[in-house]
Amino acid sequence: MSGIGSALLNSLDIGLLLFIIAVGLNIVFGVLNIINFAHGALYMLGAYLAFTLINIVGMPFWAALLLAPLGVAILAVLIDRFLLRYIYSRDIADSLLLTFALLLIINESVRMIWGSGIQVVQPPQLLAGSMDIMGSSIPTYSLFVIVMGLALLAGLWFLFNRTRIGRIMRAAALDRDMAEVLCINTRLVVTGVFAFGAWLAAVGGVIAAPMRALDPGMGDKIIIESFIVVVIGGLGSFPGALLGAIILGLIHGFGGRYFPEVNMLLPFLGMALVLLFKPNGIMGKGAAA
Amino acid sequence: MIKTRVKKILVAITAAAAMGAASTSYAEEPIRIGGIYILSGSAATYGEFAQKGINLAVDEINASGGILGRQVEMVYEDSQGKASVAIQAARKLVYSEGVDALVGLDSSGVAQGMVPTMPELQKPLIITHAATPDVTGKLCNAFTYRISVNVAQNMKAAALVAEKLDATNWTTIGPDYAFGHQSWEFFGNYLKELKPDVNLMSETNFPRFGAEDFTPFIDRVMDSDADGVLISVWGGDLVNFIRQANNRGFFEKDYELLFTVGAATEVLSALGDEMPEGVHLSTRYWYDAYDNDVNAHFVKAYVDAYDVPPSYNAEGAYAAIYAYKKAMEAAGTTDASAVAKALSGMSMEAPNGTITFRKGDNQAMVSPNWGISGPMNSKYGIRTLTDLQIFDGEDVARSIEETGCNL
Repeated sequence: MSGIGSALLNSLDIGLLLFIIAVGLNIVFGVLNIINFAHGALYMLGAYLAFTLINIVGMPFWAALLLAPLGVAILAVLIDRFLLRYIYSRDIADSLLLTFALLLIINESVRMIWGSGIQVVQPPQLLAGSMDIMGSSIPTYSLFVIVMGLALLAGLWFLFNRTRIGRIMRAAALDRDMAEVLCINTRLVVTGVFAFGAWLAAVGGVIAAPMRALDPGMGDKIIIESFIVVVIGGLGSFPGALLGAIILGLIHGFGGRYFPEVNMLLPFLGMALVLLFKPNGIMGKGAAA
Repeated sequence: MIKTRVKKILVAITAAAAMGAASTSYAEEPIRIGGIYILSGSAATYGEFAQKGINLAVDEINASGGILGRQVEMVYEDSQGKASVAIQAARKLVYSEGVDALVGLDSSGVAQGMVPTMPELQKPLIITHAATPDVTGKLCNAFTYRISVNVAQNMKAAALVAEKLDATNWTTIGPDYAFGHQSWEFFGNYLKELKPDVNLMSETNFPRFGAEDFTPFIDRVMDSDADGVLISVWGGDLVNFIRQANNRGFFEKDYELLFTVGAATEVLSALGDEMPEGVHLSTRYWYDAYDNDVNAHFVKAYVDAYDVPPSYNAEGAYAAIYAYKKAMEAAGTTDASAVAKALSGMSMEAPNGTITFRKGDNQAMVSPNWGISGPMNSKYGIRTLTDLQIFDGEDVARSIEETGCNL
């Protein structure tokens, strides 16, 4: 039993971290109709900024958790103002090209600024070490990741369902022209949503920093995982991001432990199965969404 | 960045050729060596180490008159860790950059793909990092040499270490590609020969390279009867592995642990004191292991230039440039066939002692290093290695017949 329990907690910490990142990708797609290839690179920037603030400047982890995502969100505002705004009205392929270029630029910049070496960030004192739960040793930090994931989940649900800003975002996602007619400043909404997506990616990066080694390829690794999440869950769907992330977390957590021979295959098998039976993802809407 | 550098070099050469066409003879053009390493992505640090080692060698050689009186010039290409990209890079270097020789290759997978194309390119290649036995085995050819330790050599050494340990049930955790699988295969075969009563478990663990979370595999080993584990996870993966294993209390159990690339300086400096004490760590070259003039000079020059002790990958790359110097001077030319011929059977003084490219498979007889992680080295912030064992290159090498190479 303890084996299954610890595998479950492990799956949840992998899954909820993926959720934080994938939900940003999904929100940006839902409202802006852009598949942001640079989302993983923004996650990496969040992690490297946290590394700088914690290891070099000497700030506590909690300050980095506040400041690093804010920095990335500001960068996202600039990206939106100076680059993305020119392609919103164009074909989705153009945004793919542009964000892919951004990914390459950010990757190379990270390598030039921080070097190619492997970096490590320590968890805050409060969350260091392990706890004994059900007879197995669970890293305290994993529990923190799970709590953070759930808190963000609740916060996002509240934002979209109970606040005016959330309703405006949903309105803009449904029909941007109609929203404009209703005197909603969609330009501001668009910038805000892109920055918010980037903020989520960077929050994921800061949270990942103490548990995953930093290197200039970490953004590429996470973007592939995030795409699997949105394909499984449904592109543009908020509950889909959660479902997809949890499913992929379970695939990693249990797959590696109980089916190690096929652990590389499982995520793609899951993705293929979903595509076969639900081409728009489990929670995906019709092709028009 | 690389492209602009290449472009600058091209412009410089064109300009030099135009200006000096009348007065400069052909022989004074620089010797060009192409380097193919991972220069982007997760493992970019390995390419950077190789460049640091090479730059040191090239600067030293150029300052003392070059090779055959000609300066040496490097042209780098990024393999991105992919065989197809590396093959393209090699073709570009040979056909459009006109390099005289090649060094490189950071991954077994890349090496397995690229080495069979070397006879077509007709230029010598010295591999400085990739460790698959195949490229100096069944895939060998007259143009491919390796100056670094291969999996077969290192796993023979690992088996000799394991023979003296109490563990009887052995399993492995390694990356799910050639390197992880071949490490286990060679280790198992050698250990079984030395100690027939060991049990090589059928439950093995091969997580994806770059998996990031190794906890499920760590748990699986902890649930099994294993008392000895061969761990060939490397690079950033190894950093993640060690930290996650610490969280799981993996090192508090009494496993005998052999880390096949555990004493890599880039991993040790990322981990600091998170690397546990008392585990067996190997590396292809440990900067502190060799008491000879070449090593003393190399380590000092490297530390002066970069403030950190040289990694194994820097050493291999540094030595490879000197190998070309010696071979080209012995051949009296940069002609590819003549240089390849000169390399075969050639002995040289490298930081890791006197090494010989064995006639028959072109593998350098080099010595794997194994030690036990000890107290911190406060100057560099990395673990020291105690009980250091320097295995004799000849002793741990396969016989030519065993390699399957037929040159």
